[in-house]
Amino acid sequence: MTAGLDRAHRETIFVEEAEVLSHHHLEGDQHILRVQAPETAHHAQPGQFAHIRCHPLLPMRRPLSIMRTDARKGWVEFLYKVVGEGTRLLARRVPGERINLMGPIGRPFTLLADRRQPLLVGGGVGIPPMVFLADAMRRAGGYAPFAVLGSEVPFPFRARPSAFQVPGMPEGVIGAMPLLEDWGVASRLASLQGYAGCFEGYVTGLARLWLEALPEHARAQVAVYACGPHPMLEAVALLAGEFGLPCQVSLEEFMACAVGGCAGCTVRVRTPDGPAMKRVCVDGPVFDAAAVFGTD
Amino acid sequence: MQADDADKLRLDFCGLPFNTPLVLLSGCVGFGEEYTRVTGFTHFDVGAVCLKGTTLEPRLGNPPHRVCETPAGMLNAIGLQNPGARYVVDEILPRLPFAETRFIANLSGSTVEEYAEVARIFDDSPIDAMEVNISCPNVKEGGVAFGNDPDMSARVTEACRKVTDKPLIVKLSPNQTDIAENARRCLEAGADAFAVINTLMGMAIDIESRAPVIGNNQGGLSGPAIKPVALLKVHQVYQVCRDHGVPIIGQGGVASPEDAIEFLIAGATAVGVGTGLFYDPLLCAKINAGIVDYLDRHGLATVGQITGSLVLNDEGGSCAGG
Ligand SMILES: Cc1cc2nc3c(=O)[nH]c(=O)nc-3n(C[C@H](O)[C@H](O)[C@H](O)COP(=O)(O)OP(=O)(O)OC[C@H]3O[C@@H](n4cnc5c(N)ncnc54)[C@H](O)[C@@H]3O)c2cc1C
Ligand SMILES: Cc1cc2nc3c(=O)[nH]c(=O)nc-3n(C[C@H](O)[C@H](O)[C@H](O)COP(=O)(O)O)c2cc1C
Ligand code: FES
Repeated sequence: MTAGLDRAHRETIFVEEAEVLSHHHLEGDQHILRVQAPETAHHAQPGQFAHIRCHPLLPMRRPLSIMRTDARKGWVEFLYKVVGEGTRLLARRVPGERINLMGPIGRPFTLLADRRQPLLVGGGVGIPPMVFLADAMRRAGGYAPFAVLGSEVPFPFRARPSAFQVPGMPEGVIGAMPLLEDWGVASRLASLQGYAGCFEGYVTGLARLWLEALPEHARAQVAVYACGPHPMLEAVALLAGEFGLPCQVSLEEFMACAVGGCAGCTVRVRTPDGPAMKRVCVDGPVFDAAAVFGTD
Repeated sequence: MQADDADKLRLDFCGLPFNTPLVLLSGCVGFGEEYTRVTGFTHFDVGAVCLKGTTLEPRLGNPPHRVCETPAGMLNAIGLQNPGARYVVDEILPRLPFAETRFIANLSGSTVEEYAEVARIFDDSPIDAMEVNISCPNVKEGGVAFGNDPDMSARVTEACRKVTDKPLIVKLSPNQTDIAENARRCLEAGADAFAVINTLMGMAIDIESRAPVIGNNQGGLSGPAIKPVALLKVHQVYQVCRDHGVPIIGQGGVASPEDAIEFLIAGATAVGVGTGLFYDPLLCAKINAGIVDYLDRHGLATVGQITGSLVLNDEGGSCAGG
């Protein structure tokens, strides 16, 4: 009876009592949380998330993208912004306490072997998966990613003048994310807030300048990856479409189970068989932009 | 679990061998395999798994948001997203691990005929039993009317009974005046068992936008918030079932071994776990261990001995509140 059953999905998510190793509180009510979660650290791939019990008093979990992992040391890092009860309670957790989490969850981003110059676009708390993706590309080798990061509250890091020349960048747009710089990954920042060294405009404005400045053969090597607010994703998808580039986006929706059981987190996507409701937790969070933003 | 502990938890439910008294509830575990993604979760910890509510035709379900947390629980309005009965039988059932636990279909429909048709399709399948969701509160053209009216409930039960000999479980709604009377009528119409209770209807409002948080405006309330309501309903339905030997799957807000034991004492033969899994995906193993511990402390040999062992207070009356 069991012969031929596909069991590949089984035992892919771990439940861990993760000790808080550090918790940094930044401007704009943003927080960087590092926890000891060896299984999640070992198995996580960029684009995946953890489902977190923010506080013992709040039973429903909250999904947070995985930003960084150290498989050897067994830690996982998150960047989150306080927006309500769950994230507010999470921000109170201190080193030494344990947080129950489920991870890693979801379909990750796919690296494309014929697209060696990926464009990574992260907006606000959509930055974390882009950091993880940049790390994966650097480890895989042979990729020259460029990250465009946007924020309307102070960036969750101190921008540093970039050591990399990037085509198409306007005069003075030199600010970069230090961690990515250290990894040898070029990045630039965009904001409407007029922060020093940042492009004053949207991430898509800056991305467009870069794409236009690339020679034809280089542009053919671009794949676009994006995570951030829905309107930003829509604009990124449109831009990618305009340049004929493949584009993967990471989506958000309210979740209950995060294992595919409740169908609470669905989004409407296009499929060859017509419109379908797909679960962000296990069918995503990463989707093909054309399936999400294309018309039925 | 040790072998003799496993024996204490085993039971017979309408002729079906259950590994334990726990039942994973419809709508919380997809079409049966989803929770096996979680390391440490196993179907051997549960007696049965109820599949997502299934209609004759595929349904896309409701727009977002479909779920949100509320005090001690959550609201949901999924809108019965499902691929249709034919697809479930042809594509999903053949891949389910029947060697691990029992699988129960959850039937839904907009008309009596639709319920019967879905039941007919599942009758010709390896499914172990059928649960009739006469109380689905989320779909405008469905649920509500059937579950809230004893006549309609009985007609749906009767129609399904006619087309199948598999165990037929009727899932009762708390959103009605006299749940015991409804149970009595469904029993006469051929129900083999009851599931008590489905969700209570509720609403949450975003005060900034002044719009309901749930896309469907209203949703079903589940989780610990509804447990006291559920316990009373199980107690009431048990008064109808006891003499007929008709078992109940008690459910609503089970999140600990103590919760499960309360339902057993109130009259449940099996105990459903839904929202509690969202809190803790490994909850079932903990409940099983807690029940075994309870049995040992009370010198009981099997879980069946807890069922209906409620000791009512002498002075208790029927006039509630105040
Ligand atoms: C796959 C995924 C990855 C995410 N990664 C990050 C991240 O890396 N950093 C970060 O800051 N945020 C991230 N989010 C958003 C984060 O989950 C929400 O901000 C958080 O759930 C809000 O909870 P709350 O109780 O503080 O807010 P409230 O608004 O009080 O939450 C009320 C309810 O709404 C839900 N909810 C509200 N906003 C969201 C949202 N945007 N997404 C999902 N559920 C929501 C909550 O789960 C809860 O049930 C991610 C969301 C998803 C789906
Ligand atoms: C997300 C969600 C979806 C549900 N879908 C169904 C369904 O399709 N059919 C059904 O009979 N009950 C459905 N229910 C009700 C549950 O099966 C259960 O009766 C109820 O949630 C009470 O139990 P709980 O508090 O343990 O969750 C659903 C509940 C939830 C939370
Ligand atoms: S959150 Fe339950 S299916 Fe995605």
